[in-house]
Amino acid sequence: MQTLVQRSFASELRAILAVANKEWTIFRRYPTWIAAFLFWPVMFPLAAIMTARALGGPSGAGFGAFAQLAGTPDYVAYIALGNTVYMWMNITLWGVGLTLRNEQMRGTLESNWLCPVWRISMVVGQSLQHLATSLVFLAITFVEFWLVFGVQIVRGNVGLVLLVLALLVPCIYGIGIIFGSLVLRFKEPNAMVFLVRGLVMIFCGVSYPLAVLPGWMQTVAQYIPLTYAIQGIRDIGLRGASLAELTPTLMPLAWFAALLPILGFVTFTVTERRARRTGALGQY
Amino acid sequence: MTTVTPTLTRSTAAPAVQTNGHHAAASPTMVEVRDLRKVFPKRPADTRPLWRRLLPGGRPAMEEFVAVSGVSFSIQQGEIFGLLGPNGAGKTTTIRMLSTLLEPTSGTATINGYDIARQAPLVRQNLGAVLTGERSIYWKLTGRENLEYFAALYHIPPQTAKQRVSELLERLDLANRADENVERYSSGMKQRIAIAKALLANPPVLLLDEPTIGLDPQSARNLRELILEIKNEGRTILLTTHYMEEADQLSDRIGIIDQGRIIALDTAANLKRSINQLDSLQLEVENFEPSLVETLTLMPTVENVISHSGEPTWSLALHTTDSRALLPEVIALVGSRGGQIRAMQVAQPTLEDVFISLTGKQLRD
Repeated sequence: MQTLVQRSFASELRAILAVANKEWTIFRRYPTWIAAFLFWPVMFPLAAIMTARALGGPSGAGFGAFAQLAGTPDYVAYIALGNTVYMWMNITLWGVGLTLRNEQMRGTLESNWLCPVWRISMVVGQSLQHLATSLVFLAITFVEFWLVFGVQIVRGNVGLVLLVLALLVPCIYGIGIIFGSLVLRFKEPNAMVFLVRGLVMIFCGVSYPLAVLPGWMQTVAQYIPLTYAIQGIRDIGLRGASLAELTPTLMPLAWFAALLPILGFVTFTVTERRARRTGALGQY
Repeated sequence: MTTVTPTLTRSTAAPAVQTNGHHAAASPTMVEVRDLRKVFPKRPADTRPLWRRLLPGGRPAMEEFVAVSGVSFSIQQGEIFGLLGPNGAGKTTTIRMLSTLLEPTSGTATINGYDIARQAPLVRQNLGAVLTGERSIYWKLTGRENLEYFAALYHIPPQTAKQRVSELLERLDLANRADENVERYSSGMKQRIAIAKALLANPPVLLLDEPTIGLDPQSARNLRELILEIKNEGRTILLTTHYMEEADQLSDRIGIIDQGRIIALDTAANLKRSINQLDSLQLEVENFEPSLVETLTLMPTVENVISHSGEPTWSLALHTTDSRALLPEVIALVGSRGGQIRAMQVAQPTLEDVFISLTGKQLRD
């Protein structure tokens, strides 16, 4: 009896695309995503923008101090840029980070892992779908900020913005895969999501300049890739920074971009092996 | 409540595995399992306050739970091998090891000649598996989308996959509902999609873990017919079940598993014949005096008594070496305590009786 399996590099790529396509089809069949896509981008940074407006005072006298620390008086764009990167990180944690756990809860994880496809290909496929959806989310964010606040987020050298995003993608998805593996191991995602996003929100200067943080917190911030991404995008958009000026910011980000996916792969492999030893795959 | 009161139980510490070598010479071996063992680490329950548990050295040491304890068997091409045992006997753990989802603690196994530990991807190419429960497929996808998705994960070329999916949908009588979301399917249809998924790559070996659990009687019957059809195509099937009728009807050979060990292995007919010297005397009694169970158990020819208390009728099954001699004694004893016998028969042994005679307990326990 001849099996129909014909394994090749092309068939592995087809499998990755099939995973992405499956995720996209399921995503579309839960209509609440439309509301999330339309309202979140504006609602999310609004609280920080309104707080800043209140602190600036009726005459805007307080914004002088902000401009000195942030290097720009445009606090709305400053907050919007930081929050957009943060939102991306956030939805990646909830998306890619919980995909494996969701498969486990649905009971389909083992069913997938019975197939001869590489198990990491499933994670890559899920990340691919997530990346495509989150890019749509970012596009909606840019349009909504322009329409609601009159703020053009993408400004300055678009090529450099894309360069920062290209370096940020492997960082975010590397963290997402590490996170997803740990959730598969520890089962309880909420506490971990809150911990990670709390760290990012406080240490990376999402809504305020890093200069307001105590020294030790600024040191911690240097070890989080999002700090550099937010800094880079703000420098391009608000100060018109050139590639040479950006290099000190982009170099650490490039290192993170090289290391985090590898760390994600290793964490996933170790977790998968452990799950096979302990029988944790089928446990809820 | 059902209880089994044995007078003679066989030790499972040193199981006697019976086999008649059925099929052994006729066909190639497709599944070979040798001394497979799975031990899970288990942390004992700790009822102490949280602060004490968090202190250094405050957590109790890990213990071991032996789920499968040195299981061995082989399955020949075209054979249905039934693994019959109660819940928690080690059936699912065995299937999960064979399907490469779990790493064995020790022992070896091959599927179509490929080692489950060293050649896991090749093993997965050669087997289709349906695990317990119907959530092995995506409810938010249609039947066709599910199959096309899994075909890609099995590395089936797109054109072949399309054709294979249509063929399976047609064959499993799902073609007219193929483009509806699976969430609208009945349990039987969901299980058929799961079987179609297992058949996608045309694997020579199928592992079916409790395939009819949760199905209505008609769907279960249809599924059993389908399993026989699949076998007739020349596929090798390992089936786990705790339904003795299912094991009896489908399996060429049956391994009875309990507490992680195979305690008997043979054809259903041979297993039943092995306890043929025992009759099963079955009674339905009104106003039965429960303390009589003990007395019946102590009667010389009685091996064990299964009692099922009901209102107002009790069901009793006595495994005896001499039903003819026992019958008048039982009638007299029950009558002397005010019980009225409403029905009575001497039945042929079933696989359930085999299991009881080997373990002293019922399959459903």
